Amino acid sequence: MWASSILQVMSSFEFRDWLSQELEKRRRVNPRYSLRAFATLLGTDHSTVSQVLRGKRRVPVAVLRRWGKRLGLTAEEVAAYVAIEHVPDASITKRQEELRHWTAEALAVMKDQTHWQIVRISQMPGFRPDCRWIAKQLGVSVDDVNIPLSRLLRLCLLKIERPRQWKVSVGRNPVSEAEFQKCALIRVRQFAAVRGVKLGRISRKSAAERSTIKWVSQ
Amino acid sequence: MGKPVRQFQIISKSPEETARFYSNLFGWTVNSDNPLGYREINTGSVDGIQGGIWPAPPQASNFVQLFTAVDDVQACVKHAEELGAQLIIPPTALPGGVELAVMHDPQGMSFGVMKTS
Repeated sequence: MWASSILQVMSSFEFRDWLSQELEKRRRVNPRYSLRAFATLLGTDHSTVSQVLRGKRRVPVAVLRRWGKRLGLTAEEVAAYVAIEHVPDASITKRQEELRHWTAEALAVMKDQTHWQIVRISQMPGFRPDCRWIAKQLGVSVDDVNIPLSRLLRLCLLKIERPRQWKVSVGRNPVSEAEFQKCALIRVRQFAAVRGVKLGRISRKSAAERSTIKWVSQ
Repeated sequence: MGKPVRQFQIISKSPEETARFYSNLFGWTVNSDNPLGYREINTGSVDGIQGGIWPAPPQASNFVQLFTAVDDVQACVKHAEELGAQLIIPPTALPGGVELAVMHDPQGMSFGVMKTS
Protein backbone atom coordinates (compact mmCIF):
# COMPACT_ATOMS: atom_id res chain seq x y z
CA MET A 1 0.00 0.00 0.00
CA TRP A 2 2.81 2.37 0.88
CA ALA A 3 4.61 1.66 -2.39
CA SER A 4 1.56 2.55 -4.45
CA SER A 5 1.02 5.73 -2.42
CA ILE A 6 4.57 6.81 -3.10
CA LEU A 7 4.08 6.08 -6.78
CA GLN A 8 0.91 8.15 -6.83
CA VAL A 9 2.84 11.06 -5.36
CA MET A 10 5.69 10.53 -7.79
CA SER A 11 3.37 10.31 -10.78
CA SER A 12 2.44 13.96 -10.25
CA PHE A 13 6.09 14.75 -10.91
CA GLU A 14 6.25 13.01 -14.25
CA PHE A 15 8.08 14.79 -17.04
CA ARG A 16 4.77 15.15 -18.90
CA ASP A 17 3.28 17.15 -16.01
CA TRP A 18 6.31 19.37 -15.80
CA LEU A 19 6.17 19.91 -19.58
CA SER A 20 2.55 20.92 -19.29
CA GLN A 21 3.39 23.39 -16.52
CA GLU A 22 6.15 24.88 -18.67
CA LEU A 23 3.70 25.43 -21.52
CA GLU A 24 1.17 27.02 -19.12
CA LYS A 25 3.89 29.28 -17.73
CA ARG A 26 4.63 30.60 -21.21
CA ARG A 27 0.92 31.07 -21.92
CA ARG A 28 0.48 33.12 -18.77
CA VAL A 29 3.17 35.50 -19.99
CA ASN A 30 1.88 35.45 -23.58
CA PRO A 31 -1.73 34.24 -24.02
CA ARG A 32 -1.10 33.82 -27.74
CA TYR A 33 1.78 31.41 -27.19
CA SER A 34 0.90 28.33 -29.23
CA LEU A 35 1.57 24.64 -28.92
CA ARG A 36 3.28 24.96 -32.29
CA ALA A 37 5.70 27.55 -30.89
CA PHE A 38 6.38 25.32 -27.89
CA ALA A 39 7.06 22.35 -30.19
CA THR A 40 9.44 24.47 -32.28
CA LEU A 41 11.32 25.41 -29.13
CA LEU A 42 11.65 21.70 -28.32
CA GLY A 43 12.76 20.93 -31.88
CA THR A 44 9.80 18.71 -32.74
CA ASP A 45 6.31 18.92 -34.26
CA HIS A 46 3.19 20.04 -32.38
CA SER A 47 1.40 16.73 -32.86
CA THR A 48 4.13 14.86 -30.95
CA VAL A 49 4.01 17.36 -28.08
CA SER A 50 0.23 17.19 -28.01
CA GLN A 51 0.28 13.40 -27.74
CA VAL A 52 2.86 13.54 -24.94
CA LEU A 53 0.84 16.12 -23.01
CA ARG A 54 -2.33 14.05 -23.32
CA GLY A 55 -0.49 10.96 -22.09
CA LYS A 56 -0.95 9.19 -25.40
CA ARG A 57 2.76 8.85 -25.97
CA ARG A 58 5.72 8.20 -23.68
CA VAL A 59 8.84 10.32 -23.97
CA PRO A 60 11.91 8.26 -24.90
CA VAL A 61 14.87 8.93 -22.62
CA ALA A 62 16.99 10.53 -25.36
CA VAL A 63 14.14 12.91 -26.23
CA LEU A 64 13.52 13.68 -22.56
CA ARG A 65 17.19 14.67 -22.19
CA ARG A 66 17.07 16.86 -25.29
CA TRP A 67 13.81 18.63 -24.40
CA GLY A 68 14.87 19.02 -20.77
CA LYS A 69 18.10 20.68 -21.83
CA ARG A 70 16.27 23.04 -24.19
CA LEU A 71 13.90 24.05 -21.40
CA GLY A 72 16.74 24.69 -18.97
CA LEU A 73 16.62 21.63 -16.71
CA THR A 74 19.84 20.80 -14.89
CA ALA A 75 21.53 17.42 -15.45
CA GLU A 76 20.32 16.31 -11.99
CA GLU A 77 16.72 17.27 -12.76
CA VAL A 78 16.86 15.42 -16.07
CA ALA A 79 18.28 12.36 -14.29
CA ALA A 80 15.38 12.47 -11.78
CA TYR A 81 12.75 12.62 -14.54
CA VAL A 82 14.49 9.78 -16.40
CA ALA A 83 14.36 7.70 -13.21
CA ILE A 84 10.64 8.43 -12.75
CA GLU A 85 9.96 7.38 -16.36
CA HIS A 86 11.32 3.95 -15.46
CA VAL A 87 8.94 3.50 -12.55
CA PRO A 88 5.96 1.39 -13.64
CA ASP A 89 2.71 3.29 -13.53
CA ALA A 90 0.30 2.91 -10.62
CA SER A 91 -2.07 0.52 -12.42
CA ILE A 92 0.76 -1.91 -13.21
CA THR A 93 2.03 -1.74 -9.65
CA LYS A 94 -1.47 -2.30 -8.30
CA ARG A 95 -1.90 -5.38 -10.47
CA GLN A 96 1.48 -6.74 -9.37
CA GLU A 97 0.47 -6.23 -5.74
CA GLU A 98 -2.77 -8.12 -6.36
CA LEU A 99 -0.86 -10.94 -8.05
CA ARG A 100 1.55 -11.19 -5.14
CA HIS A 101 -1.28 -11.10 -2.60
CA TRP A 102 -3.44 -13.79 -4.18
CA THR A 103 -0.46 -16.04 -4.92
CA ALA A 104 0.51 -15.78 -1.27
CA GLU A 105 -3.06 -16.50 -0.14
CA ALA A 106 -3.25 -19.62 -2.33
CA LEU A 107 0.14 -20.90 -1.19
CA ALA A 108 -0.69 -20.27 2.44
CA VAL A 109 -3.91 -22.31 2.40
CA MET A 110 -2.09 -25.09 0.55
CA LYS A 111 1.05 -25.24 2.63
CA ASP A 112 -0.10 -24.35 6.13
CA GLN A 113 -2.19 -27.22 7.43
CA THR A 114 -3.37 -25.08 10.36
CA HIS A 115 -6.15 -23.67 8.14
CA TRP A 116 -7.77 -27.04 7.72
CA GLN A 117 -7.06 -28.00 11.33
CA ILE A 118 -8.89 -24.90 12.61
CA VAL A 119 -11.84 -25.74 10.38
CA ARG A 120 -11.80 -29.37 11.51
CA ILE A 121 -11.45 -28.69 15.21
CA SER A 122 -14.17 -26.01 15.13
CA GLN A 123 -16.69 -28.70 14.15
CA MET A 124 -15.66 -31.22 16.77
CA PRO A 125 -17.65 -31.88 19.97
CA GLY A 126 -16.18 -30.00 22.90
CA PHE A 127 -14.84 -27.21 20.71
CA ARG A 128 -14.07 -24.01 22.60
CA PRO A 129 -14.13 -20.70 20.71
CA ASP A 130 -10.91 -19.61 22.32
CA CYS A 131 -7.79 -19.13 20.22
CA ARG A 132 -5.56 -20.00 23.18
CA TRP A 133 -7.39 -23.33 23.52
CA ILE A 134 -7.18 -23.98 19.76
CA ALA A 135 -3.46 -23.21 19.78
CA LYS A 136 -2.93 -25.65 22.62
CA GLN A 137 -4.90 -28.39 20.87
CA LEU A 138 -2.93 -27.91 17.65
CA GLY A 139 0.43 -27.51 19.37
CA VAL A 140 1.15 -24.10 17.80
CA SER A 141 1.37 -20.52 19.04
CA VAL A 142 -1.71 -18.27 19.27
CA ASP A 143 -0.27 -16.12 16.45
CA ASP A 144 0.01 -19.26 14.33
CA VAL A 145 -3.73 -19.73 14.87
CA ASN A 146 -4.74 -16.11 14.39
CA ILE A 147 -2.97 -15.59 11.07
CA PRO A 148 -4.75 -18.55 9.37
CA LEU A 149 -7.97 -17.64 11.19
CA SER A 150 -7.88 -14.17 9.60
CA ARG A 151 -7.32 -15.75 6.21
CA LEU A 152 -10.21 -18.19 6.67
CA LEU A 153 -12.47 -15.25 7.51
CA ARG A 154 -11.17 -13.14 4.60
CA LEU A 155 -11.81 -15.97 2.16
CA CYS A 156 -15.21 -16.70 3.74
CA LEU A 157 -14.14 -20.29 4.33
CA LEU A 158 -15.22 -19.89 7.93
CA LYS A 159 -18.00 -17.71 9.25
CA ILE A 160 -18.45 -16.71 12.88
CA GLU A 161 -21.83 -15.09 13.08
CA ARG A 162 -22.29 -15.95 16.77
CA PRO A 163 -19.47 -16.36 19.27
CA ARG A 164 -20.00 -20.09 19.77
CA GLN A 165 -21.09 -20.90 16.25
CA TRP A 166 -18.20 -21.32 13.81
CA LYS A 167 -19.70 -22.24 10.48
CA VAL A 168 -17.61 -23.95 7.82
CA SER A 169 -18.67 -22.75 4.41
CA VAL A 170 -16.85 -25.30 2.29
CA GLY A 171 -17.65 -28.85 1.34
CA ARG A 172 -19.41 -31.40 3.50
CA ASN A 173 -19.13 -31.68 7.24
CA PRO A 174 -16.74 -33.12 8.33
CA VAL A 175 -14.60 -31.84 5.49
CA SER A 176 -11.51 -33.79 4.48
CA GLU A 177 -8.20 -31.98 4.03
CA ALA A 178 -8.20 -32.62 0.27
CA GLU A 179 -11.75 -31.37 -0.04
CA PHE A 180 -10.95 -28.29 2.03
CA GLN A 181 -7.90 -27.43 -0.09
CA LYS A 182 -9.86 -27.85 -3.30
CA CYS A 183 -12.62 -25.54 -2.05
CA ALA A 184 -10.09 -23.07 -0.67
CA LEU A 185 -8.31 -22.80 -4.01
CA ILE A 186 -11.59 -22.27 -5.82
CA ARG A 187 -12.44 -19.54 -3.31
CA VAL A 188 -9.04 -17.84 -3.77
CA ARG A 189 -9.56 -17.96 -7.52
CA GLN A 190 -13.01 -16.36 -7.18
CA PHE A 191 -11.74 -13.57 -4.93
CA ALA A 192 -8.75 -12.96 -7.21
CA ALA A 193 -11.05 -12.74 -10.24
CA VAL A 194 -13.09 -10.01 -8.54
CA ARG A 195 -9.84 -8.04 -8.18
CA GLY A 196 -8.92 -8.53 -11.84
CA VAL A 197 -6.50 -11.42 -11.38
CA LYS A 198 -7.30 -14.60 -13.29
CA LEU A 199 -5.85 -17.79 -11.88
CA GLY A 200 -5.44 -20.70 -14.26
CA ARG A 201 -6.26 -24.22 -13.14
CA ILE A 202 -3.66 -25.53 -10.75
CA SER A 203 -2.99 -28.88 -9.26
CA ARG A 204 -3.05 -28.95 -5.45
CA LYS A 205 -0.11 -31.34 -5.47
CA SER A 206 2.03 -29.24 -7.77
CA ALA A 207 1.21 -26.07 -5.84
CA ALA A 208 2.25 -27.65 -2.58
CA GLU A 209 5.42 -29.12 -4.02
CA ARG A 210 6.61 -26.38 -6.29
CA SER A 211 5.67 -23.45 -4.05
CA THR A 212 4.85 -21.46 -7.15
CA ILE A 213 1.52 -20.97 -8.83
CA LYS A 214 0.96 -19.76 -12.33
CA TRP A 215 -1.29 -16.75 -12.43
CA VAL A 216 -2.62 -15.03 -15.45
CA SER A 217 -3.25 -11.33 -15.16
CA GLN A 218 -6.42 -10.20 -16.91
CA MET B 1 -24.45 9.50 19.96
CA GLY B 2 -21.86 9.88 17.22
CA LYS B 3 -19.52 7.25 15.87
CA PRO B 4 -16.32 7.44 17.89
CA VAL B 5 -13.05 5.93 16.76
CA ARG B 6 -12.80 3.27 19.43
CA GLN B 7 -9.52 1.54 18.81
CA PHE B 8 -6.31 1.52 16.80
CA GLN B 9 -4.84 -1.75 15.67
CA ILE B 10 -1.24 -2.31 14.66
CA ILE B 11 -0.93 -5.11 12.13
CA SER B 12 2.59 -6.38 12.64
CA LYS B 13 4.72 -9.09 11.13
CA SER B 14 6.53 -9.31 14.48
CA PRO B 15 3.83 -8.62 17.07
CA GLU B 16 6.05 -9.47 20.03
CA GLU B 17 8.74 -7.04 18.91
CA THR B 18 6.13 -4.38 18.24
CA ALA B 19 4.67 -4.86 21.71
CA ARG B 20 8.11 -4.66 23.27
CA PHE B 21 9.07 -1.53 21.34
CA TYR B 22 5.98 0.50 22.25
CA SER B 23 5.96 -0.74 25.82
CA ASN B 24 9.55 0.40 26.22
CA LEU B 25 8.94 3.68 24.41
CA PHE B 26 5.63 4.79 25.91
CA GLY B 27 5.20 2.56 28.94
CA TRP B 28 2.11 0.97 27.38
CA THR B 29 1.03 -2.35 28.84
CA VAL B 30 0.12 -5.21 26.55
CA ASN B 31 -2.12 -8.00 27.74
CA SER B 32 -3.08 -11.02 25.64
CA ASP B 33 -4.95 -12.92 28.32
CA ASN B 34 -8.28 -13.07 26.49
CA PRO B 35 -10.06 -15.70 24.37
CA LEU B 36 -8.68 -14.30 21.13
CA GLY B 37 -5.15 -14.14 22.47
CA TYR B 38 -5.34 -10.54 21.28
CA ARG B 39 -2.56 -8.22 22.42
CA GLU B 40 -4.64 -5.45 23.99
CA ILE B 41 -2.76 -2.22 24.47
CA ASN B 42 -3.47 -0.06 27.48
CA THR B 43 -1.90 3.31 26.97
CA GLY B 44 -2.26 4.09 30.68
CA SER B 45 -4.36 7.18 29.97
CA VAL B 46 -8.07 7.94 29.77
CA ASP B 47 -7.25 10.44 27.03
CA GLY B 48 -7.18 9.14 23.48
CA ILE B 49 -8.09 5.62 22.44
CA GLN B 50 -6.75 2.22 23.35
CA GLY B 51 -5.38 -0.23 20.83
CA GLY B 52 -4.21 -3.68 20.02
CA ILE B 53 -1.71 -5.65 17.97
CA TRP B 54 -2.68 -8.33 15.48
CA PRO B 55 -0.22 -10.63 13.68
CA ALA B 56 0.32 -10.19 9.95
CA PRO B 57 1.45 -12.95 7.60
CA PRO B 58 5.08 -12.67 6.40
CA GLN B 59 4.21 -11.33 2.94
CA ALA B 60 1.97 -8.54 4.27
CA SER B 61 2.95 -5.00 5.15
CA ASN B 62 2.95 -3.53 8.64
CA PHE B 63 0.21 -0.94 9.00
CA VAL B 64 -2.29 0.62 11.38
CA GLN B 65 -6.07 0.36 11.22
CA LEU B 66 -8.66 2.46 12.99
CA PHE B 67 -11.85 0.89 14.31
CA THR B 68 -14.99 2.95 14.63
CA ALA B 69 -17.76 1.93 17.03
CA VAL B 70 -21.13 1.37 15.37
CA ASP B 71 -24.52 0.18 16.60
CA ASP B 72 -25.01 -2.33 13.80
CA VAL B 73 -21.95 -3.82 12.09
CA GLN B 74 -23.94 -5.50 9.32
CA ALA B 75 -25.86 -2.34 8.46
CA CYS B 76 -22.69 -0.25 8.47
CA VAL B 77 -20.98 -2.70 6.09
CA LYS B 78 -23.96 -2.51 3.73
CA HIS B 79 -23.85 1.28 3.81
CA ALA B 80 -20.07 1.36 3.30
CA GLU B 81 -20.34 -0.97 0.30
CA GLU B 82 -22.96 1.32 -1.24
CA LEU B 83 -20.43 4.14 -0.84
CA GLY B 84 -17.75 2.12 -2.64
CA ALA B 85 -15.99 0.23 0.17
CA GLN B 86 -14.71 -3.29 -0.36
CA LEU B 87 -15.40 -5.89 2.28
CA ILE B 88 -12.30 -7.73 3.51
CA ILE B 89 -13.49 -9.50 6.65
CA PRO B 90 -17.28 -9.93 6.86
CA PRO B 91 -19.07 -9.21 10.13
CA THR B 92 -17.57 -11.65 12.59
CA ALA B 93 -18.33 -12.40 16.24
CA LEU B 94 -14.86 -12.85 17.65
CA PRO B 95 -14.05 -14.86 20.74
CA GLY B 96 -14.23 -12.36 23.57
CA GLY B 97 -17.46 -10.71 22.53
CA VAL B 98 -16.43 -8.17 19.90
CA GLU B 99 -18.23 -8.11 16.58
CA LEU B 100 -16.23 -6.51 13.80
CA ALA B 101 -15.80 -6.16 10.08
CA VAL B 102 -12.82 -4.91 8.09
CA MET B 103 -13.08 -3.06 4.80
CA HIS B 104 -11.05 -1.05 2.31
CA ASP B 105 -12.33 2.44 1.64
CA PRO B 106 -12.60 3.56 -2.01
CA GLN B 107 -8.97 4.75 -1.84
CA GLY B 108 -7.85 1.27 -0.77
CA MET B 109 -7.22 2.17 2.87
CA SER B 110 -8.04 -0.47 5.42
CA PHE B 111 -10.44 0.35 8.26
CA GLY B 112 -12.70 -1.50 10.66
CA VAL B 113 -16.03 -1.15 12.39
CA MET B 114 -16.80 -2.78 15.70
CA LYS B 115 -19.45 -3.35 18.28
CA THR B 116 -18.71 -4.53 21.78
CA SER B 117 -21.30 -6.66 23.53
